[in-house]
Amino acid sequence: MSSALLERATARTRWRSWLYRGLGAAAAVGLLAVLGVLIPLDWVTTLSAVYMYIVLAEGWNILGGYAGYLNFGMVTFFGVGAYTAGVLCTQYNVHPLLTIPLAGIMATVAALLVGVPALRLRGVYFAILTLIISFLTQVLVTNLDITGGASGIYMPSLPFDPFTNEQIFYYAFLGLMLLAVLLAFIIEHSRFGYALVAIREDEDPAEILGVRTTWLKTQALLLGAFLAGVAGAIYAFHTSYIEPQGTFSLDISIDVVLMSLVGGLGTWQGPVIGVPLMLVTAQVLRILAGELPFFGSTLPPEFDRVVFGIILILVALLAPYGVMGLVRRVRGRRLTV
Amino acid sequence: MMRHAADVPAGSGAPSPNGLASNANAGLSMRGVTAGYYSHDLVLNNVSLNARPGKVTVLLGPNGSGKSTALRVLYGLLRPRSGQILLDGREITTVPPQRRLALGMALLPQGRSVFPELTVQENLEIGGWLLARDRRRLAAALEGVYARYPSLKEWRQKQAGSLSGGQQRLVEIGRMMVADPRVILIDEPSVGLAPVIVDQVYEEIARLKEEQRTILLVDQNVRAAVALADYIYTLEYGRNNLEGERGAFEDRLEALIKSWLRF
Amino acid sequence: MLTTVSLSLLVQALVNGLLLGLVYTLISLGLSLTLGIMGVVNVAHSTLIMLGSYLALELLQRLGLDPIISAVIAVPVFFLIGVLLERLLISRVARTSQTTGLLVLFGVLVVIEGAAILRWTTDTQVLSVSYTNTSLTLDGIAIAVPRLIAAAIALVLVLLLDTFLRSTLYGKAIRAMSQNLDAARISGIDTDRLSLLVFGLATATAGVGGVTLAMIFPFDPQDHYRWLAWAFLVVVIGGLGSIRNTLLAGLLIGLIETLSSVLFPFQYVYFIVYLLLVVALLVRGQGLAGSQSRAL
Repeated sequence: MSSALLERATARTRWRSWLYRGLGAAAAVGLLAVLGVLIPLDWVTTLSAVYMYIVLAEGWNILGGYAGYLNFGMVTFFGVGAYTAGVLCTQYNVHPLLTIPLAGIMATVAALLVGVPALRLRGVYFAILTLIISFLTQVLVTNLDITGGASGIYMPSLPFDPFTNEQIFYYAFLGLMLLAVLLAFIIEHSRFGYALVAIREDEDPAEILGVRTTWLKTQALLLGAFLAGVAGAIYAFHTSYIEPQGTFSLDISIDVVLMSLVGGLGTWQGPVIGVPLMLVTAQVLRILAGELPFFGSTLPPEFDRVVFGIILILVALLAPYGVMGLVRRVRGRRLTV
Repeated sequence: MMRHAADVPAGSGAPSPNGLASNANAGLSMRGVTAGYYSHDLVLNNVSLNARPGKVTVLLGPNGSGKSTALRVLYGLLRPRSGQILLDGREITTVPPQRRLALGMALLPQGRSVFPELTVQENLEIGGWLLARDRRRLAAALEGVYARYPSLKEWRQKQAGSLSGGQQRLVEIGRMMVADPRVILIDEPSVGLAPVIVDQVYEEIARLKEEQRTILLVDQNVRAAVALADYIYTLEYGRNNLEGERGAFEDRLEALIKSWLRF
Repeated sequence: MLTTVSLSLLVQALVNGLLLGLVYTLISLGLSLTLGIMGVVNVAHSTLIMLGSYLALELLQRLGLDPIISAVIAVPVFFLIGVLLERLLISRVARTSQTTGLLVLFGVLVVIEGAAILRWTTDTQVLSVSYTNTSLTLDGIAIAVPRLIAAAIALVLVLLLDTFLRSTLYGKAIRAMSQNLDAARISGIDTDRLSLLVFGLATATAGVGGVTLAMIFPFDPQDHYRWLAWAFLVVVIGGLGSIRNTLLAGLLIGLIETLSSVLFPFQYVYFIVYLLLVVALLVRGQGLAGSQSRAL
């Protein structure tokens, strides 16, 4: 075959594969949109949680997955978003819809405060600092008057029946999730994404080659924080009551890291796979907890944290590229054979 | 006689490079070693060489030809992907570096390698780590080194990091000599040192040679190295290139150096 | 203008700060050791401290043992825990990427914290022994006895460790390893085995640190992040590789905490400490980053 012909043929297959992918994505989005009106209420709620975690995990993945800078305090930005919405809405009478973008902006500002001192340094210092900050923020929110202290904030509720309410939040989270996944997809295929991966692979040469690593890492953190802040604001309206223990719980940070890791760090598909997988695992563990014997009584439900920690260790050691790593290995084998 | 690697039949089982099959097992040798730091590039490609006992063997080559990597592999700091390392006929390919000293091997690494925040005395004590269980032997070994290098004794309470570059080099040599090694690998001994010190370093290597130690020297300072050499290997692009007795190289040195400058 | 009352209050804060600083030095040593010598940032460090507090609690409740004795028992117990952790996880992690190492240690944090909640619930605990609420009064300055004892234990351990690292051949080898890993290996030092020793020692100091903290403060399975913050701050200010600098930094943090709690409401201590941390990272960060070139 002549090379021109070959080129035209590969261009055609490439175009076709993009077409198929586009159609597949559109079908998936359509299906998810229709689900919102078809399935029962508790399923709608569960799926909303899945979408919310995908947003957080995609946001986390930008810095954590592509650039390898692990943020162990993702909940900080989520919580800042939730509280921004809560405080603005209840204390300053800002319109709820307006509080949502403002929450994203506040979370971004918080990310600047964390990122500027920490992102000039190597990943380990950043990681430990994020952990510390999420604890400090929790203490701060518990002790401030404006946040209602330990007693929290009651959010205004929407003037609809419960089912309509749930559907509204379903579509809100769905829209945000699509945005987050699209953003991750674009980043992964952009110069920005390649530069982040270069930072993960080896930061020194990347720096020498003129990659402005500190600014890139900061941008990645800010983008993730914005997504988390918006998700936090929607979450606040959804749960209708926020308080520091739950809203700033380390469990959320752990979940986000684990979900991204299990799905596959540094891939836009990772969170989409990891989040449902881990939420189902958590559900199974909760059911098991009621049945397994544990020193004469049944297991307390908190035992899922221990199991999650063990999964985190095992996946990090044995399958550091998560499900996507396995998929790629299988696919790679098929291509080379 | 100098010969080209192409004249030697390829493969890890190549006959002894100096043509003395009976001698092949003595000294330190590397057979058909392939090694690299990343999966996609090879720094050494099927390299074989032999450091004969009691002789100075010099490994030359342009920058990036794999000389230092060869030393790292020989000392166990980098594990080869294939091939073998033999010491007096015994395979030691996978013996970790911390056990090599006990086999009578030592490495003088390139650049500064003193422990800067320890005193000179403490640096030497670390060199005698293998004797640590036997305080008397350790003390005797240290005294031996102090007798050999009297200036070290003067500096014994100083922090090694506070010494000049040349003094630190002496501490490194002294630290290596505490264990009284038979086989010594030396990587770029003169890099970054003042010319006066460089001369002293080569005098010291000459002394090690007189003491019948087996020496494998990797050096950019081609003339000084060749002056000490009994046998010479050259590497190019991570492969064996030329090899032969010193005599065979002496008239070709200029041409060789000139050709490497192209790299 | 200082009245005599506020002056004695200030002196009392100074003394308390120094005592507290000794304890903070102890809880920071392990983090400094593993980071400086092995290049491992142990984010699970503070959960080991928390386990130390609960060891003291269990020994007191079950066997009626005084925390002073628990501090002694904690040394071998936590040394062993550290050795096990190193063998099972850290040694594996050292050969992989930094990301993997951090994730694994984060996993360890999650497991230990989760297990502690299962075993002891999230209730706040206090160690109460006969001298818990007693204090010595000297020239109008009151010093709480538990704080004095905790500081004494910390001081003894810090001095022992310093002596070990300075004067024994093993200690020198550990220092050599932290200054040049490859040079240590070619000098015949089995750095893998020394790492085991270092991690064991680091964990032992964390465990005893937990016992001493429990003598002073109430504790629960989740407030250990505070100690992680404090220990990290001490390490950032004190730098790596010198116990004396760690001690100075620990005393400084102790003083800042007590002095600022005299001047401001309690929770502001956190912000002052965070501010300090940010400033310290901005000033010293590059130095720390430089020592961080190898592995994890």
